[in-house]
Amino acid sequence: MKYLSLALKNLLRRPLRSILTIAGVALAVAVAVSLSGFNLGYKRAINGSIEKLGFQVMIMAKGCPYEAATMMLKGGTGLLYLPNEAFENVRKDQEIKSITPIFIGVSQKEGSNISGDSTKSFTIIAGIDVPSFRDMKPWMDFKKGTGYDGGRWFAEDSKQEIVMGFEVAEYEQRKVGDTFYASITPKGKPDAVMREFKVVGVLDRTGTQDDGTVFMPIAAARTYFNQPNDLTIIGVKLKEFSGVKIKEFESRWLKLPEVQVVSLEQVKGTLVSLVGTAQAMVAAVAAIAIIVAVIGVINTILMSVYERTGEIGIMKALGARRGDIFQLIWLETLAICLLGAAVGCVLAFVGSQLVELAIKSLINLGVTGSIVYITGEVLAWAMAGAVALGFFAGLYPAWRASSMRPIEAIRQGE
Amino acid sequence: MSDIIIQARGLKRYYQRGIETVKALDGVDINIHTGEMVSVLGPSGSGKTTLINLLSCLDAPSAGTLSVAGKEVGGMSEEGLTEVRRGVLGFIFQKFYLLPTLTVAENVELPLLFLGRNRDRAATMEVLKQVGLSDRVGHLPRELSGGQMQRVAIARALMIHPKVLIADEPTGNLDKANSEAIFKLFQHLVTEQGLTVIVTTHNLALGYLADRVITLEDGRILKEERGVAHHAEPELSKV
Repeated sequence: MKYLSLALKNLLRRPLRSILTIAGVALAVAVAVSLSGFNLGYKRAINGSIEKLGFQVMIMAKGCPYEAATMMLKGGTGLLYLPNEAFENVRKDQEIKSITPIFIGVSQKEGSNISGDSTKSFTIIAGIDVPSFRDMKPWMDFKKGTGYDGGRWFAEDSKQEIVMGFEVAEYEQRKVGDTFYASITPKGKPDAVMREFKVVGVLDRTGTQDDGTVFMPIAAARTYFNQPNDLTIIGVKLKEFSGVKIKEFESRWLKLPEVQVVSLEQVKGTLVSLVGTAQAMVAAVAAIAIIVAVIGVINTILMSVYERTGEIGIMKALGARRGDIFQLIWLETLAICLLGAAVGCVLAFVGSQLVELAIKSLINLGVTGSIVYITGEVLAWAMAGAVALGFFAGLYPAWRASSMRPIEAIRQGE
Repeated sequence: MSDIIIQARGLKRYYQRGIETVKALDGVDINIHTGEMVSVLGPSGSGKTTLINLLSCLDAPSAGTLSVAGKEVGGMSEEGLTEVRRGVLGFIFQKFYLLPTLTVAENVELPLLFLGRNRDRAATMEVLKQVGLSDRVGHLPRELSGGQMQRVAIARALMIHPKVLIADEPTGNLDKANSEAIFKLFQHLVTEQGLTVIVTTHNLALGYLADRVITLEDGRILKEERGVAHHAEPELSKV
């Protein structure tokens, strides 16, 4: 018989009470692990999404920075435009390694109406310059397989050829060689015009907004939308990527009217701040859950000590020292916390998908991919936290039990 | 006469109850010899339990001297008293205090845990055989009768091979047959193993089964008599 074995057997004396206390700890740990996983996963998702933008700096029309950040990652319909002169000016900058102009417009889908869900009613159309765009995103490739083989980029002077992103092609059930219809309203015109396009390629999944975008030559897009001199974004890669260089670049081009320069770091900060309040609230809930769990553990162990006063007295009479009793009670507390933590980790791991769905339904996070990322390190920290929790929660009950005088304990137990 | 294992002189234990001082034990001189069985008798409030608590180092005297197994324990701290108890004294109480989730064998082995000794199943079987429970090794306490549970408590006390076995009202929760069986077991342990047994009881018939009977009244020794042990098989109902 060892102390740990004895402690575990003592917990079995009141199984329901032990299970409820363990459940309380498990819940607190599950919340804490999920929150940590969310923090970690969200930062990871932001980094991943921004890295896949391919740009280090974006130049776009002045407006809300939140809108700018999320538009780049999630798309949007409230588009602002900057003049083509801005691109012509910026491309002369000696610090630029590569630069690409992007025109974004939205077309109404076949059979949909504007009053419906905008994400289902509209298709994002991006007019791009293929060579410079590919230079920004060299990882982009065409989907392979039956119906997709032979995918290619459109000819620069083509008016009818398009390349579809992975998801939009799946949603619209289009393959290479198919026809795609888009209802485009030219700027300044009251009515939409139905356009017919030929799909020349379907892109492989990127995990970014590109998956939901239809690409066409920038000249064609500007023509269809009747905005021959407009751009939505100018994507820029600098020769040297550093905070100083970006600041210098920003100060050089902020002089242009109606233009804002947004670096990736700013976008990250903006997106993190978007969910900062929600994270603080969830952290507060986790903290409350942990405090309640600690109180529950202390209460359970104190009650157990009170019920076993006579037994503790007899143990002391049989030769148990203060340290022995302290160790026994402390191990019981620790066992509850560790078991609770283990269950909580499993709950968090299994429930992370549900948590993700819940968070995504409540907040527009502006990122794609998984946002709850539970690592071994997070789980190890949770277990370590449970040990610390058990250590502190067990101190008072263990001290109280070990401080009992044997004769008084035996007398109380009779 | 054999060696004295416990010696008390002028032993007092006073309690303060409000402004009143309760003299639970008021100047007791006593010698307990190795290998004898001593019964402490007396009505409720006479000081039996107080005396036995002091002799077993569970409580500290207010005044007087007390020596247990050659160690002067007067003025010792709680930790000091624990050290005297460990491995020297075995305890049995009216309530059995068996751990309900441990088997009979595990309950018996419990003191080994506190003394830092390894489990010794052979020794466990030996003491269980002594108390007549070798067929109940794997049973839980709830599966035993009151008498059997007290036997487990005795086995637990014997497991550390104590020099003195101290029993405070060990038959208080038992019927007549089981009570007699427990006292006969004490007699056996004294005669066969040379164990020293100090036992308190309300039952005069059982008390006189000891070698020596000490009767207390109002915290003082009223009389000391020889018991019937070793002389004849007692007829309990007539004692």
